[in-house]
Amino acid sequence: MKLIACIKQVPDTTEVKVDPKTHTLIRDGVPSILNPYDQFAIEECVRIRDQIGDCSVSVLTMGPPQARSALMRCLALGADEAILISDKAFAGSDTWATAYTLSLAIKKIGFFDIVFCGQQAIDGDTAQVGPELAQQLGIPQVTYVEKIEIDNKNKLTINKQTEDGYQILEAKLPLLLTLLPPTSFQPEHPPMSSILKAKRKPFNIWDVETLGGDKSRFGLDGSFTQVIKTYTPPKRGECELIEDNPKEAAKKLSKILCKNEALTKR
Amino acid sequence: MVDYRFTEEQELFRESMKEFCASEIVPKTEKLTEVRRMPKEIIKALAKFELLGLIIDPEYGGLGTDVITAGIAAEELARADPSCSIPVLFLVGTSWGHVIDKYGTEEAKKEILPKAINGEQIIGIATTESDIGSDLGSMKTKISKKGDKYIINGEKMYISGVAEAMEYGGGHVTLAKMTPDKGTRGMCLFYLPLKDTKGITPTYVEDIGREAISCGGFDINNVEIPKHYLLGEENKGFYCVHEGYELARGLIALVCAGAASKALENGIAYIKERKAFGRHIGKYEGIQFKLAENHVRIQALRELGYKALWTYDQEIQGKASRFDVSMAIAMAKSVASIWASEAINDVMQWQGAFGYTKECEDQKAWRAVRSFTLAEGSTEIMKLIIARELLGKEFLAYR
Repeated sequence: MKLIACIKQVPDTTEVKVDPKTHTLIRDGVPSILNPYDQFAIEECVRIRDQIGDCSVSVLTMGPPQARSALMRCLALGADEAILISDKAFAGSDTWATAYTLSLAIKKIGFFDIVFCGQQAIDGDTAQVGPELAQQLGIPQVTYVEKIEIDNKNKLTINKQTEDGYQILEAKLPLLLTLLPPTSFQPEHPPMSSILKAKRKPFNIWDVETLGGDKSRFGLDGSFTQVIKTYTPPKRGECELIEDNPKEAAKKLSKILCKNEALTKR
Repeated sequence: MVDYRFTEEQELFRESMKEFCASEIVPKTEKLTEVRRMPKEIIKALAKFELLGLIIDPEYGGLGTDVITAGIAAEELARADPSCSIPVLFLVGTSWGHVIDKYGTEEAKKEILPKAINGEQIIGIATTESDIGSDLGSMKTKISKKGDKYIINGEKMYISGVAEAMEYGGGHVTLAKMTPDKGTRGMCLFYLPLKDTKGITPTYVEDIGREAISCGGFDINNVEIPKHYLLGEENKGFYCVHEGYELARGLIALVCAGAASKALENGIAYIKERKAFGRHIGKYEGIQFKLAENHVRIQALRELGYKALWTYDQEIQGKASRFDVSMAIAMAKSVASIWASEAINDVMQWQGAFGYTKECEDQKAWRAVRSFTLAEGSTEIMKLIIARELLGKEFLAYR
C-alpha cells in the first residue's frame, strides 16, 4: 500500500504580525514550522503504515528550498521518503495552481492508495488545496477527518467531524482525506535517533522540468486568485464575559440584551 | 571563513528539544523546587526522549552524537527549568557517562551505561571532600588493592545526586588516592555504586538553589568494589577525571547562557509593559544600556560555550590538543556564571520589589547560576588554566 502526505511549511502564526502600512505579513525573524494540521496528517499516515505493514509513506511539499526542514521533520516523524517540489516557476501559486502542481507530482510517483492533507494551513486558512487536489486527481475525498481505521481488506472507516458530532463513513481506495486533529491531539517531538535516521532516508527535489505538465498552469500565471491585502480586522467594541451558573447567566444575558434593545420584553 | 551554522540535525534537534521542554518540563517546574530530589518521572521523561545517552557509543545504547548536540540540550533545558536542577542532572550524567564510555572496562560499560541511558539509574561525580575542593592533590580518600577487588575509605561532600543514587540506584565516578606520595599522579578513578552498598553512609545539605536535585555527601567505610569498576589505569585517574570536568564545564557555559537568555526575554516582556513616570520603563536609557550590555555578554557566552564544545569534538576527532580544549573550556566557564548572574540580577532589578520575591521566576535562575562559580571547577581555577596556557607551565603558582 502507498500513502502520500502533502504538507506545508508555514510561518509560526503565533509570532506573525501584519504590517499596518503595507498590509503584508511581517515574516522577518519569524520561525517557520510544519503546519500543525499536517503534523497530525503525517502522524496518522505513519500510524496506519505501522498498523498494516507492507506499506510506505511519501511526503511532499511545494515550496522554496528552506521548506526542506519541514520535510526533514516529517521524515523524523516516520515518513519513508520526501519530495520537495521547488522552482521559481511555482512562485505566486494560489490554491488551484498549487493543487495542480501537487497532482502532477503525485501522478509522477505513480501508484497510491490514500492522499493525506492537513485540513488547512495556518497561514492562509483556505482549506482549499486538499479538495482541489482530489478534483485534479479525479478521486473521492473526505474532509474534516479525525480518525481512520483500516481493516485487512483495505476498507476504511472514517470519523468525520461535523458541527453536531461525527459522521462514520466507509470508503474504498483510492481517496484523499483532509485531517483535522481532535483537541486532545499531542504532537510528537521526534527524538535524536529519529532525526539521525531521517538523514539517511531518500530526499528528492523536483523542478518544473521534472514535473512536466502545462507550464501556463503553474505559479502566478496559473492562479485564478491574487491576494490584494492582508489586514487585522478592527476591534468591534468591548467583550463582556458572563460567569455564573447557566440559569443566572441566562438571566444576566437577557437583561443586557434588553438593555441594549436587542430583545424586547413581552 | 568561519561557518557559524548548526548542522541540519542539530537544528531539528533544537526544535524538538523546545517542544519537549514546553510539553514535558515547563509545566512541572513550579512543583519541582519543592522536593530536593529529582522526581523519577522527570528522569524517565529525559530517558524516553533519549537525552541520557546522547553522546554515548550506540553499542551501549547511546546515540553517538557530537558534543555540540549535548550543548543544545543543556541550553534548552536551562531555558525551561529556571532552577537548573534538570540541566545539572543532564550535564553530570552526560559528562561522567562519557568518561565511563571512554575509560571503563567492557564489563563496566555493559553493566552501567544502558541502565543510566534508560533512566533506571543515575551517574554522578564525587571528587570534593569537606575541606578539599580545587586542591585535589590533598585529597584524603584512599583506595587500595586487595586481590581482585579495591577497598576504599574516606568521604565525599558537596556532591550532586546522592539521594537519587541512594534511592533510585546508580553511583558516582569517584577519585581517591592509591599512592599518596605521588600526589595527583597517584590517584585512581573508579565507579562507586551507592545504593545498597555496604559501608556507604549518606549525609545531606541544602543548596540555596537547584532545589530539585539533592546535594550531600557520603562516608566511605571499607567499601569493596570489583576491579572492573576502575576507570582508566591505576594512578592515572587525575588525568581521566579532567576530561569529564572539561565537558561538564563546557555544558555549564551553555546552561548559564540558556538560563540568562530566558531571563532576558522575561525582562524584555516586562519592561515593554511596565510603566513608570508616564512611560514604559523600556524607554529609559538606564534600562536599555543594561539590556544591550547583557545581551552582548550572553551572546558572547553562547559563542564561547559552543566554541568550547566544538573544540572538545575536534579533540575527539584528533584535530585539537588537550591544551586547546582546556583553554577554550576555561575561557567559557570563567565568565559563564558571573555574566549570567549579573544579567539575571538586572532583570530582577527591573521588576522592582516583585523581583525580590519568591513569586519571581528569575530569582530561581539567579540562585542556580550562582552555583557555577564553584561547581565543576571554580572561576579562579578557570583563570589559572587560562594563565597557564598563556604563560607556560613553569609559571604555575602551585607547583
